[in-house]
Amino acid sequence: MKHLQTLSHTLKVAGFSTFLLFGLNACSNSHNDSLQEPQAKGAFVVIEEVAPKKYKIKEEFPANETRIILKELNGTEHVLTKEEMDKLIKQEAAKIENNSSNLTNPNAQIENGGLSLGEAILASAAGAIIGSWIGNKLFNNPAYQKHRQTAYKSPSAYYKSVESFKKGKVSTTKRSGFFSSKSTKKSGFFGKFGG
Amino acid sequence: MKLLQVKPLSKEYLVKIGFLWHSDIDGSNYIADELVVLSKQEAKAFEDAANELYDMFVEAGDFIIENNLFHEIGIPFNLVDLIKKSWESDVHWHLYGRFDFAGGIDGAPIKLLEFNADTPTALFESAILQWAIVKENNLQESAQFNFIYEALLDNFKRIVTLSEDTSNFEELYEGWNFLFSSIKGNIKEENTTRFLEYIAKNAGFNTNFAYIDEVEFDEEGIYYQDKKYELWFKLIPWEDIAIDEPDLAVLLTSIVNNQEAIIFNPAYTLMFQSKAFLKVLWDLFPNHPLLLETSFEPLNKMQVRKPIFGREGGDVAILNERGEVLEEKKDVYGSLKMVYQEYVPLPGDERGNFYQAGVFYAYEACGVGFRRGGKIIDNMSKFVGHIIE
Repeated sequence: MKHLQTLSHTLKVAGFSTFLLFGLNACSNSHNDSLQEPQAKGAFVVIEEVAPKKYKIKEEFPANETRIILKELNGTEHVLTKEEMDKLIKQEAAKIENNSSNLTNPNAQIENGGLSLGEAILASAAGAIIGSWIGNKLFNNPAYQKHRQTAYKSPSAYYKSVESFKKGKVSTTKRSGFFSSKSTKKSGFFGKFGG
Repeated sequence: MKLLQVKPLSKEYLVKIGFLWHSDIDGSNYIADELVVLSKQEAKAFEDAANELYDMFVEAGDFIIENNLFHEIGIPFNLVDLIKKSWESDVHWHLYGRFDFAGGIDGAPIKLLEFNADTPTALFESAILQWAIVKENNLQESAQFNFIYEALLDNFKRIVTLSEDTSNFEELYEGWNFLFSSIKGNIKEENTTRFLEYIAKNAGFNTNFAYIDEVEFDEEGIYYQDKKYELWFKLIPWEDIAIDEPDLAVLLTSIVNNQEAIIFNPAYTLMFQSKAFLKVLWDLFPNHPLLLETSFEPLNKMQVRKPIFGREGGDVAILNERGEVLEEKKDVYGSLKMVYQEYVPLPGDERGNFYQAGVFYAYEACGVGFRRGGKIIDNMSKFVGHIIE
């Protein structure tokens, strides 16, 4: 019978001996750490220059603060300042207004060449966040939806991005409070659930 | 039967390690200051019995699914789809259960009383406290049939590896979050749940705990404080979800169908938990030495009448061969469907106490502990550890 074990053996099992010493408290500290990751309000975006002045979105994921890292052809990387972002978005907004933006032009061919920097930013999640004042003009435009996908360096980067933002999404139809009446009613040491 | 007097664990120590239900409502100690002394053969027989029975439960489960016997074993209609779905795929891995046995001591044959497959407690006592007693009493050189902690640690990893071998867990685990839930206000259940969380964390999972009423659900998943959980353990009986919170049953069915989360123990464990399942087992394995005759009609012999989803001995009655009640524990389950199971006495000591063995099963039989009480083991019973001579 392989399972007849002496105490000295069992104490070697990681976690078990800790438990005998500290019990459930041994893990309770971590509860605070894992309690909650604040809901992401921004996006962390990496944009890569794929040809001179042509850009694609390399990757992006939810973050608390919106940051855009630009990787240039010569290999240097830098973080766009808020002023730079605002300026680029303003320029793009003007192009959308007068219908000269590649993002809203259904006939634009951008699959291979990449976008301008401003277009790439707007196509990214960061664009959706900081450029939200552009409003429906951009986001309800079918051409934008199509080009947004091709603005990513690889299909998997797009898919990953959509998925990670979906996960952070707060649904308004969530239900909670199940068994709350039972929770207040039950107060003794012994419930009936144990079997 | 042989008992060994031991020095009990102090209440201070029990509180320190998080075991807060050390005393019963009447103030008596919940953990006995004695150990049941088993022979190696007796311990081995408990292990073999649980392993053999689990295979029989799986076979009978297939039979129930194939023949649509859900109504016969009392499964609420709003869980049938979820049970079928959970039975189809290995990802709905059974984490652990506890077989309750009569016999097994002093030459009495082991007989299955029931299988707590969905929400078994007495886990903390069996896994941790009976070892702690042995240590406290300097009995280190003795042995126990108890590797519950290790077996659960491995079985948590199997949720990801889906095979006996757990060595590639780190490689396959993609950081899925694991939430553990119990009802607010029940310290016994909360501690069992937190203990399981502790083991899962040691296995390598990202874990958290939340009371059931604080957990959020929609068709796309299970959330706590806006974080999504792909894995959810609930120490809440499936039949309570079906009957008390039918909306939750609908939501959980969608969540599982949409593959948004996996729920433990899986819904099919409710089949195992139903006492009516014991009748199906008897039909499929008539006169099997580990089984007691079980019927939906009264038997013409000493028998025990049990509600199909009762807990802790509630509304269990001992009847004579004419069906007259000799002893009964009144509770809230009286309106449920009943089964009649052949009566066998539990092993007893000289003071008139009776002992019921609880054998834990987590992929394999992994440990035994005892409950001591009257002829019907109820929620005032005591926990008694064991030692192997």
